[in-house]
Amino acid sequence: MLVMGEVHTGLLQNSGEISESTCRQVLGITAGETVRVSRRPIVHALSPERLTGVDCTLPAASRSRVRGVGTVVSRCAVTGGRVAQGSSYVRVVRSEADRRLPWSHYLARPGVVEVLGKAKAADLAEGFTGDPTPGSPDGACLNLGAVSGRFLDLVQASPLLDRRAPFKIPRTSLRWVAETGEPSIRFTLHTEQERTLRLTHPGPFTPAVVDLCEDLATHDWLLTSLLVIVERARIGTTPGAAAVARLAPAIDHLLHLWMPAARVEEWLTPFWDSLERRPGFTRQWRSLVDRVRDQVAVNTLALLSASAETGRR
Amino acid sequence: MLVFAISDKGGTGRSVTGTNIVYRHALQGNDVCYLDYDFGSPTAGAIFSVSGVARGTRQNGLHEYLRGECPQPRRVDVWAESDREGLRTRPPGAGRLVLLPGSEGGGELSALTDEIIGRCVQLFGRLEEEFDLCMIDVSAGRSFTAELVLAATVRMPAVPFRWLVFHRWTRQHIIAAAGLVTGADGLLDVGTRFGHDADDLRDRIRYVRTAVLEPDSAELVGLRDEQRAWLSACDSELRELAGRHSVGRTAMLGKIPLDPVLQWREQLITDEDVLASKIANAETAAAFDELAKKIVDDNAWEGL
Repeated sequence: MLVMGEVHTGLLQNSGEISESTCRQVLGITAGETVRVSRRPIVHALSPERLTGVDCTLPAASRSRVRGVGTVVSRCAVTGGRVAQGSSYVRVVRSEADRRLPWSHYLARPGVVEVLGKAKAADLAEGFTGDPTPGSPDGACLNLGAVSGRFLDLVQASPLLDRRAPFKIPRTSLRWVAETGEPSIRFTLHTEQERTLRLTHPGPFTPAVVDLCEDLATHDWLLTSLLVIVERARIGTTPGAAAVARLAPAIDHLLHLWMPAARVEEWLTPFWDSLERRPGFTRQWRSLVDRVRDQVAVNTLALLSASAETGRR
Repeated sequence: MLVFAISDKGGTGRSVTGTNIVYRHALQGNDVCYLDYDFGSPTAGAIFSVSGVARGTRQNGLHEYLRGECPQPRRVDVWAESDREGLRTRPPGAGRLVLLPGSEGGGELSALTDEIIGRCVQLFGRLEEEFDLCMIDVSAGRSFTAELVLAATVRMPAVPFRWLVFHRWTRQHIIAAAGLVTGADGLLDVGTRFGHDADDLRDRIRYVRTAVLEPDSAELVGLRDEQRAWLSACDSELRELAGRHSVGRTAMLGKIPLDPVLQWREQLITDEDVLASKIANAETAAAFDELAKKIVDDNAWEGL
């Protein structure tokens, strides 16, 4: 029917970036299973996958009660030794039975949630990516964000991290729904930290779609965070040196991490390309990076001319 | 940085001072949040003038979160949701100001379980990622809440934390404040039981005096000489008492002068209250401002 997932992204709670070997240890959340690391064009480490059993209602825009039983697949990732992620997703399918089957049935289908009874894919997709209905106590509703958040906590609480992050920055969450059909992509910003993505791709679902969503989430977080840091610097209203001092953490820790679509399979790159045209992630990133570098350049010039002035005297 | 605000007795002005410190810290350009862990009477919403949560929130309050009834506690953006006009727009350069309200009618914690401590650790960990300062308003006196945060901080050794003990400048309060820290079942006693190092914990505790009437202050100009002399004698007696109980100057982070506004209504003192309507004293705002700086200034927290 459809696939839904949620990615939480945050700054790894460490003073500097962590090495590839530390990444392996931090992400070794399941004994005996290896952490997958790719090195080019940026170090990206992915933990083994873990399952969470669920038996709960699924979010439906029509507020009809849809019961789903199965397992959620979750994993953590660290990009560039600096950006941490917790990511979960489920494939929603219709159950062939009209009652809950033994758990062995669901364990044999990792990442699949079977819907008992009637449900429309569009209704579920709307319910999952739409704004939560205010006042509804959905403690019993499938909450992929809570699962992803917990996996991100798992990384952040690692004893190998010193928890002295160079700056404070909120996590962002990207909620996504993928369906098969005529290709289209819609990326929406909601509150300061919440984003949704509706994706329709040709052909059947593969985990490469999850990679695409995680890649998008990483870059959206980078962009959001750089915007926050530039805003905090209050360029123009604070003295140049103070503004540059506030921009410095971005230069030290973020600017080199921009690597869009690095881990996206060939057949999915058109989706990235369309987001690059509108709204234009890289365009905004470039302009921000230029702004940061120009501030540094202007400040350096001011310092140079000041020291030349004192030398002349 | 986590800052725990506790007081020996009720009515010391712990909440009103804590919220004002947080507010000033936000004005100084930092992202701050205020957690209302005073589960018996969660009224921080009233001080921030967010009427919807004046007595706590009906849904997703901190109490419910700790009991495991909601995945995340509700957050209130004070700059967006306050009813006070002077607070409703974020001043240029100010950081985020977020309130996590308690649950309406929640009641004190009645027991401390491993699950509750785990959720508390998770919450502190997440907030510490995004806020420069998280102030946690622990209720007055010895409570499960105080034990909870002592147990939680042991589990997150890399996260910096500090304690502020609020007390009024009277005999009873000085003795009670000292007892709360060093007495039987006090912070140090319970803290070491949970695994804190006593000396390390003591270095993380400072006192804040509230509603202080200085013998040389402008308010006392109208007093008779005899009254002034008596007050002055009292003050030196109290200073001597405080010194004996290790609540003296060296262990003090700051003091807040007596201000009529705070006596009659718990509220944030904005610059407008000082400069435009002139209902509050400039000294009070300055004291909050200084405390907001000292709270993160390592020089003020060097070992005693």
